[in-house]
Amino acid sequence: MNWLVKTLGSSIGKKLLMALTGLSFCGFLAGHLAGNLFIYGGRDAFNAYAEHLQSLRPLLTLAEAGLVLFALIHVMTGLLLFYQNWTARPDRYAVNKTAGGRTIGSATMPYTGVILLLFIIFHLFHFTFVDKTNQTIFDIVLISFQNPLYVTLYIVVMLIAAIHVSHGFWSAFQTVGLNHPKYMPLIQGLSLAFSIVVAAGFGFIPVYMSLMA
Amino acid sequence: MTKTINITLKIWRQKTAQDKGGFETCHASGISTDMSFLEMLDVVNEQLTLDGKEPVSFDSDCREGICGQCGAVVNGRPHGPEKATTLCQLHMRHFKDGDVLAIEPFRAKAFKVVRDLIVDRSPLDKLIQAGGYVSTNTGGAPDANSVPIPKDIADKAMDAAACIGCGACVAACPNAAAMLFVSAKISHLALLPQGKPEAAKRAMSMVCTMDELGFGNCTNERECEAECPKEISIVNIARMNREFFKSAFFSAVM
Amino acid sequence: MLESRTPGGPLADKWDRHQFELKLVNPANKRKFEIIVVGSGLGGGAAAASLAELGYNVKCFCIQDSPRRAHSIAAQGGINAAKNYQNDGDSIWRLFYDTIKGGDFRARESNVYRLAQLSVNIIDQCVAQGVPFAREYGGLLANRSFGGAQVSRTFYARGQTGQQLLLGAYSALSRQIAIGKVTMFPRREMLDLVMVNGQARGIVARNLITGEMENHAADAVVLATGGYGNVFFLSTNAMSSNVTATYRAYKKGALFGNPCFTQIHPTCIPVHGSYQSKLTLMSESLRNDGRVWVPKTPGDTRAPDQIPESERDYYLENKYPSFGNLVPRDVASRNAKEQCDLGKGVGETGLAVYLDFRDAIKRDGKDVIGQKYGNLFQMYEKITAQNPYEIPMMIYPAVHYTMGGLWVDYNLMSNIPGLFVLGEANFSDHGANRLGASALMQGLADGYFIIPYTIGGYLAGTSLPKISSSAPEFQAARKEAGSRIHKMMAINGNRTVDDFHKQLGKIMWDYCGMSRNDEGLSKARIMIQELRSEFWKNVRVPGTDGDLNQSLERAGRVADFLEFSELMIIDALTRRESCGGHFNEAFQTDENEARRDDENFCHVSTWEYAGDAQEPVFHKEPLEFENVHLTQRSYK
Ligand SMILES: Cc1cc2nc3c(=O)[nH]c(=O)nc-3n(C[C@H](O)[C@H](O)[C@H](O)COP(=O)(O)OP(=O)(O)OC[C@H]3O[C@@H](n4cnc5c(N)ncnc54)[C@H](O)[C@@H]3O)c2cc1C
Ligand code: HEM
Ligand code: FES
Repeated sequence: MNWLVKTLGSSIGKKLLMALTGLSFCGFLAGHLAGNLFIYGGRDAFNAYAEHLQSLRPLLTLAEAGLVLFALIHVMTGLLLFYQNWTARPDRYAVNKTAGGRTIGSATMPYTGVILLLFIIFHLFHFTFVDKTNQTIFDIVLISFQNPLYVTLYIVVMLIAAIHVSHGFWSAFQTVGLNHPKYMPLIQGLSLAFSIVVAAGFGFIPVYMSLMA
Repeated sequence: MTKTINITLKIWRQKTAQDKGGFETCHASGISTDMSFLEMLDVVNEQLTLDGKEPVSFDSDCREGICGQCGAVVNGRPHGPEKATTLCQLHMRHFKDGDVLAIEPFRAKAFKVVRDLIVDRSPLDKLIQAGGYVSTNTGGAPDANSVPIPKDIADKAMDAAACIGCGACVAACPNAAAMLFVSAKISHLALLPQGKPEAAKRAMSMVCTMDELGFGNCTNERECEAECPKEISIVNIARMNREFFKSAFFSAVM
Repeated sequence: MLESRTPGGPLADKWDRHQFELKLVNPANKRKFEIIVVGSGLGGGAAAASLAELGYNVKCFCIQDSPRRAHSIAAQGGINAAKNYQNDGDSIWRLFYDTIKGGDFRARESNVYRLAQLSVNIIDQCVAQGVPFAREYGGLLANRSFGGAQVSRTFYARGQTGQQLLLGAYSALSRQIAIGKVTMFPRREMLDLVMVNGQARGIVARNLITGEMENHAADAVVLATGGYGNVFFLSTNAMSSNVTATYRAYKKGALFGNPCFTQIHPTCIPVHGSYQSKLTLMSESLRNDGRVWVPKTPGDTRAPDQIPESERDYYLENKYPSFGNLVPRDVASRNAKEQCDLGKGVGETGLAVYLDFRDAIKRDGKDVIGQKYGNLFQMYEKITAQNPYEIPMMIYPAVHYTMGGLWVDYNLMSNIPGLFVLGEANFSDHGANRLGASALMQGLADGYFIIPYTIGGYLAGTSLPKISSSAPEFQAARKEAGSRIHKMMAINGNRTVDDFHKQLGKIMWDYCGMSRNDEGLSKARIMIQELRSEFWKNVRVPGTDGDLNQSLERAGRVADFLEFSELMIIDALTRRESCGGHFNEAFQTDENEARRDDENFCHVSTWEYAGDAQEPVFHKEPLEFENVHLTQRSYK
């Protein structure tokens, strides 16, 4: 097993961890978004969806544990990489200029990542770990988004998520070695499309809910 | 058309690796736009010498863009602002009269400044020593045509082998990673039948050595590819990653 | 004194037989020997790697920060080999003959034949190392015809053949460094050869970073330090190319062979200003499609497209109807100079001729021409900011290669026992003129396939007492090198090193360049002596000698050029004929072609150092041609 530690501890190994966990998050985001669409079906549809999810409990627990584990890996490795990369250039340049390789997404990964982490924690306390004996989840969401502050917060964070994913998505493919001149443009296109879907899909929900009320 | 221009240079001066170093300003006047960047520095150095000062130390040898010995960061760009151009092949016609240029050495933990603009790039040699070769002794090679190599494979290998080892990829990378350099060598040899027998060992050894030498990690920023004077593509990095995974998960290499 | 040690027997069997006759070193004993290799180019890199593979302990030195940057890296065109893969009639014999003839019959038959034989192994070896040579669609190796050869025998890797071959040798070297069989000393400059009991036993080198002097002892010393073209200041050589290593060996008693034989390459980007630091070669292959011309009337300053066909002088095509633009390098160069001397040169300086692709583009289309020469056109445009698809290229000859070098015998050993010389640094297999794509071949043949055998013969058959690197001989050499440096630093005069170098270069170019005459050579000799004495009074070397000091490095090299250039002049004055790269105006045919004198000058001229104030002593090695017939070259 020593070899596995060595492999995953190497620079490319760490990247592999980032890519696999990151891609799973993308999968999660897609699933989460799909589920959230039930909100447009109204109170009953959405609550039914939530109940149905809960009825899958043992599976759901597994998925949650997996997500937490992946999040730990993604966050810890991401922070480690950030630290190592920072110290790989102890004397910085006086003038920094890009040659055109970097994008907003790529240049801000650690920062957007940390914001996402904070948001996720907030988000969990906001909607997941709340007392649902007297209210349904739909109502909790509905009431929350009466507050324009929450609406703004969610929209901004979803834009940030989109920025993170706009780089993360294609980058994960590159990391696992899937870069072919024929398909790379497609993957990069998908990356952009996915980030737009994330921003628009999640971002519109708070708007819709605030309008509904 | 040939013109002459005057420019101001803010050059990094540092006597030894231990010194702190800092910027010094000097003026390059009457610079012909036909000069190369290094010829401009030659002119500055001649003047400094005559003024009783110490000239700026900078590396160069072939001055035709192939040896990889030259290199400095000009206004934040390794080898200056032109695409696919080494510093020795950069011409002053790409600058304007009155420009102010900051000239710094390539910076990375793995590249110590030796003096002024000269850095120690010996870690790149160490990387090659870690496996950037085919283990064949002189003599005993089979006839060169005994193993046909499809043209497109040979071409791809050549694309990767075109690396001049200047270190601009490291200098350009926001993380001071050497991935493009290492991947170019791993790709060059992994593509060719001659390099295949050792591909797994090579990939593991070179990647681990790269980490030990203090280079950063890749975050796919693509600055290396954009700055590489030989336009080496990050497709090679993806190939290196594949070779590394093959080595780690599907070979006997430990 | 000049024992060439050429083995007997038929030409084709000499090398085989010699290999057998050479004593072998017991494999277990090889690790007891220490060998110094100075230089990490094709010659040195290949030698260091191959010797280490055999088990010798090798110390390898180079000036650059990495062995991969030796100037072999800059070779563009290709490497010859008598593989006959194209089925067009090539053979070892033909390559041998072409090389001997191209060299104007001033090289040793036995050596050149061996070179042609080994050329075949070189390609095999390089492919095994992973050198990505150009290939055909079927997967086999591609060839091109080069340098006016009638067969396609040149192997190439795009326009970067030298780079790829060097990286092959460098990878083999790196492997040995990793194993610990080679200790690499980059950023070191050899300043002297150390002899003990008449044998070459080590060197004194300066650490270019710390300024420290280092003594290195060994059982044999191999010099592969490249050519001395930079004596002309402007050349296609790298900035650090020098004569120091070989010249210092000369001063220790090694004979210098044919110092005046220099090759001036016809297709280089012209000089455009006094600040210029080097000249860039444009591959010779351009002459396959480009037409060389100048305006018919001297002083015509019209733009090239304003000059009608009838007022253009395609002088090569007119003068040499059968070879046209493809005449050998020396002929093409001399003719360009002649046209410019007549006032017909073009460009701002009047020192250039046109190389025009208009007709080729009209005939084949821009795409075809682009495919063939696109990267060269791009490089030209980068430097000159002119687009050769639209405006004819301007070219002018430039110093490119030095055929002269330390004299060596068939074993590549100089007259000093234990001092071996490889690659461009030896007086070489190229006679008076080198054919395209043959220097890479020679460097690799020397390093991979000759020295590993011949050095064994020497080591096995020689008594080599143990010595220490602090022996008095080392201390003396080190002290002398140190005091030269101190002397230079102390002058603190008014002229920079480059200033002297440029002046020396101009003298050499004007009087000892493409075309020479007795009067000019004699004048140049005096000018050099004066310049040298001024150098030692008036040079300014800033900084200190205790750390990295590039002015000091250059000063040492220029000081040696200032002495060595005189040797070139003496050699040029002594060779009373014209041949290859040496053209003395007094010896030309009625058609202004070089006139050889085979009766009196069919020999290698070598020079022995006799003291700073003394004339060097002349020795000659007569060249005997048993297998080829000496003919006058004609390209009409
Ligand atoms: C622009 C150009 C294009 C060419 N194209 C071709 C071509 O297409 N085909 C062909 O066959 N030939 C070509 N040649 C010629 C050929 O490249 C060279 O002759 C050959 O590569 C020389 O190899 P070498 O090993 O002898 O020396 P180099 O490669 O010059 O190596 C010299 C080595 O010696 C070291 N050294 C020198 N002096 C010292 C010192 N004092 N102390 C310590 N180390 C020292 C240097 O650091 C270097 O490592 C070309 C040459 C040039 C300049
Ligand atoms: C919904 C949440 C998230 C998703 C979908 C996501 C997705 C991704 C993806 C796909 C990558 C690309 C991996 C690669 O380049 O190979 C990535 C990289 C990264 N992520 Fe996340 N991520 C999320 C949350 C986070 C969080 C909470 C952090 C917290 C620190 C973070 C930090 C990073 C960093 C620093 C990188 C760049 C690492 C590198 O390129 O080497 N991410 N992410
Ligand atoms: S000096 Fe050789 S690449 Fe610039």
